[in-house]
Amino acid sequence: MDGLTQVLAGGVTQGCLYALMLLGVLVVFQVSKVMSFAYGQVGMVAALTAWAVTTVGVPVALALVIGAAAAVLLNGAIDVVAIRRIPTDRVGLDLVVTLGLFLLIAAVMQQLVDSNSHSFPALGADTQTTVLGARISVNDAAVVALAVVVVTGAWLVLSRTSLGTNLRACAEDADIAASTGIDVRALRTGTWAVAGLLAAVVAVAVASRVAVDAFYMTSVLVKVFIAGMIGGLDRFWPPLLAAVGLGVYESLAVATFGADAGVPAVFLLIIVVLSVVPKRFVLDTSEARA
Amino acid sequence: MTTAPGISIRDLTVAYGAFRAIEELTVEVPAGRIVGVVGPNGAGKTTLLNAITGFTHVSGGSIHLDEVAVQDWTVRRRVAAGVVRGFQTVRLMERESVMTNVLVGLERTRQPFVLAQLFGLPSQPRSRRRDLDAANAVITRLGLADVVHQRVDALPFASRRLVEVARVLVSRPSVVLLDEPAAGLDQAGRHELAAVLTQVHAEDGCTMVVVEHDVDLVQRLCQHALALDSGHLISEGPPADVFATPEVQVAYFGRSLDAQA
Amino acid sequence: MTSTSLPVTAQAAPPDVAAVPAAAEKPARSRRQTLVVVVGLLAAIAVPALTFPAFWLFLAAQVAAYAIATLGLNVLYGRTGQLSLAQATFMGAGAYTGYVLGSQGQAPLVQLLAVVAVSLVVGAVVAVPTLRLSGLRLALVTLAVGELFAWVLVHTSPLTGGSQGANVEPLVIGPLDASVPLFAYLLGLLPALLATALVLHLDRTQLGRRMLLVRDSELAARATGVPIIQTKIVSFLLASVFAGIAGWLYGGINGFVSPPDFNLFASVYLLVAVVIGGARSVLGAWVGAAYIVVLPQVFTALGIPNLYALVGGALLALVALLAPDGLVGLARSAVGRRRRTA
Repeated sequence: MDGLTQVLAGGVTQGCLYALMLLGVLVVFQVSKVMSFAYGQVGMVAALTAWAVTTVGVPVALALVIGAAAAVLLNGAIDVVAIRRIPTDRVGLDLVVTLGLFLLIAAVMQQLVDSNSHSFPALGADTQTTVLGARISVNDAAVVALAVVVVTGAWLVLSRTSLGTNLRACAEDADIAASTGIDVRALRTGTWAVAGLLAAVVAVAVASRVAVDAFYMTSVLVKVFIAGMIGGLDRFWPPLLAAVGLGVYESLAVATFGADAGVPAVFLLIIVVLSVVPKRFVLDTSEARA
Repeated sequence: MTTAPGISIRDLTVAYGAFRAIEELTVEVPAGRIVGVVGPNGAGKTTLLNAITGFTHVSGGSIHLDEVAVQDWTVRRRVAAGVVRGFQTVRLMERESVMTNVLVGLERTRQPFVLAQLFGLPSQPRSRRRDLDAANAVITRLGLADVVHQRVDALPFASRRLVEVARVLVSRPSVVLLDEPAAGLDQAGRHELAAVLTQVHAEDGCTMVVVEHDVDLVQRLCQHALALDSGHLISEGPPADVFATPEVQVAYFGRSLDAQA
Repeated sequence: MTSTSLPVTAQAAPPDVAAVPAAAEKPARSRRQTLVVVVGLLAAIAVPALTFPAFWLFLAAQVAAYAIATLGLNVLYGRTGQLSLAQATFMGAGAYTGYVLGSQGQAPLVQLLAVVAVSLVVGAVVAVPTLRLSGLRLALVTLAVGELFAWVLVHTSPLTGGSQGANVEPLVIGPLDASVPLFAYLLGLLPALLATALVLHLDRTQLGRRMLLVRDSELAARATGVPIIQTKIVSFLLASVFAGIAGWLYGGINGFVSPPDFNLFASVYLLVAVVIGGARSVLGAWVGAAYIVVLPQVFTALGIPNLYALVGGALLALVALLAPDGLVGLARSAVGRRRRTA
């Protein structure tokens, strides 16, 4: 098995995970103009909850459903309880509030479960299979397949259904959308809820690969944000492709410079990209318009 | 430029892609006059202010202050030269006092070096005294002396408007550009704003350009008016004449007021 | 409907400026207010020195050290509006610089000069990418720098002690030896008072006003001629030098430094502290510093150390939403209300 192909396969898999999570970030951002720093923690809640209930004998499949449900409810609740109360003129408040939620959720989970790191059921990460001549794990294959299906499905919904039209209307201008009878609040919270599901899926997939503790999703979230900023948070395909590319970049860096190189490779990239890539969108209220 | 310059705009074009916000505009703002800029929404009035102050690029033509071409100057350079503007929406430091908001407008006058300010070296208290005098003068002129230490977000809208005007005027700029300064004021407020601006203009002798919708205010305040529509100049002259022009009436009201009977 | 008429009459002659007393920059304090502040300050300084047992003196010393860091973040975030998640990183840079030089036998003055120099460099390095950024992007750049710094610490074990941390010699300046609780307190307090005076003074400078305008409206800042980039850089440098010195003092007082003291969470807790105390107030910075040092002790003593993160997260979200001026702001408006209704 060619080393490079192996590295690329691993990178693409990781990138697909980033893309799935980024999809959640994108729809939430486009519909509510908010980037939630607590989003990674929502996923963590799914994984840690699922793990915790398996320790009391619940079968894995059911545990995953419970975990996912928790994430869906949590993310929806975040929108209703916190995000909705942020006045639109307070720029940057969403970051501070979601930073607080980030800490709070982690601390609550540490209290409810514990502060240690745990290993999650492998979910096929330890079973090898061969796809297109490359040996990858079942988990990896499932992740890539899932990513393709979900992203394509999301694109179809957004571009071909009336739900998608309504979502895009909300994204464009919530007030005008509301005046045409669209229930903007329900759509927003629904979007957050669906994003919660995506976070759950990604968090469980990541959990099957690494040790799980209250903060393990933080670096994933940061990388997902970066991929979004590279591709443009108001777009669809470019950021998702950037996410896959980021996974490949990370994989190549580690393969070239060793396991320790992952952190500096990514974070140096973050600094360079954010300094250089122009702002594609205006977050603050319109300034000096004609 | 120690005396107020005239503004000379020649063949000015401001385009955003295919959309031309201002199209080959040629107009003179005489030195030391108050000129009103009127026109319907989207006529390019704010774009004109943006072009004069450097907030938008210029696609063609030139802008001169007394024969000095400034269209390639940075905003900062123009501010230093005495070109100061206000905005359509009031932009203040909401949680700070009137005094702080006005004092910050003195930025364009000579300030001590950053380290001197930080460590309170002798040049800093000297400049502070000078700044306070200037701020007090304009605050008193605009009738804000009673609320000088109040937080701006606790003030009524008209006073907030005035605070921004004070910030614009405190450094005694030679060119003052205001964008709909009377928006949101009631009739009495508009009359008094006109009186204040007239007074300031009489004392300072600056060149003033005021973008406004209010016909009455423009007639009261301005000696000269320019009417824009879709990026073109459609009329200029004394305000009464400009407003009587059929083209201006059509642009504003959709039809000529004479052709009613 | 609120009144929208202007306070000046249309026919008024130009006011006689000499007749109206010129306002000072800030409202004048009554003698009673000044007395209260002075007495309060003296009490706050003297009471710990005279009455606290050793352990609490060490805590007070750490509060003072952290206050320098929170004051720096007040300038950068509260005043200039740049939400930085690198303040603990700046502390770490100062702490480790002090440690490395101290372990080589360098005198405290040399350590301090090095700390300031390193802080200026690190501050500039972090500032430059952030100049055109705001909000989440800015925070992410500072976060990335923090992660890189943590990585460097762990991978330079021979020099820094790596993830195990390092024992730091107690700071000794003149007769003040940080291993003596009272002296540790003084060593922390004196620089902290200097830092406080500097930030209070900043409030009366054009530099301080520039920072506020950059925070509230970059557009108005441009239109007023404020040098936005220079202002942001100065703000970052102030924050990093303050934090560097705070880290240096913390290391010399605490006796031990390790990477977790200066990681992302440490930066988040610094932000929590500043927001809870009141991001725009000097008193708020001290309240925040007390929160960071004292509360973990309280929660550990209660047997629920996790409560610190929990309460911190909850408070950050709640205070940001409901009391944007922090505890100090709440107290001030309560006092103001009582004064008005009295």
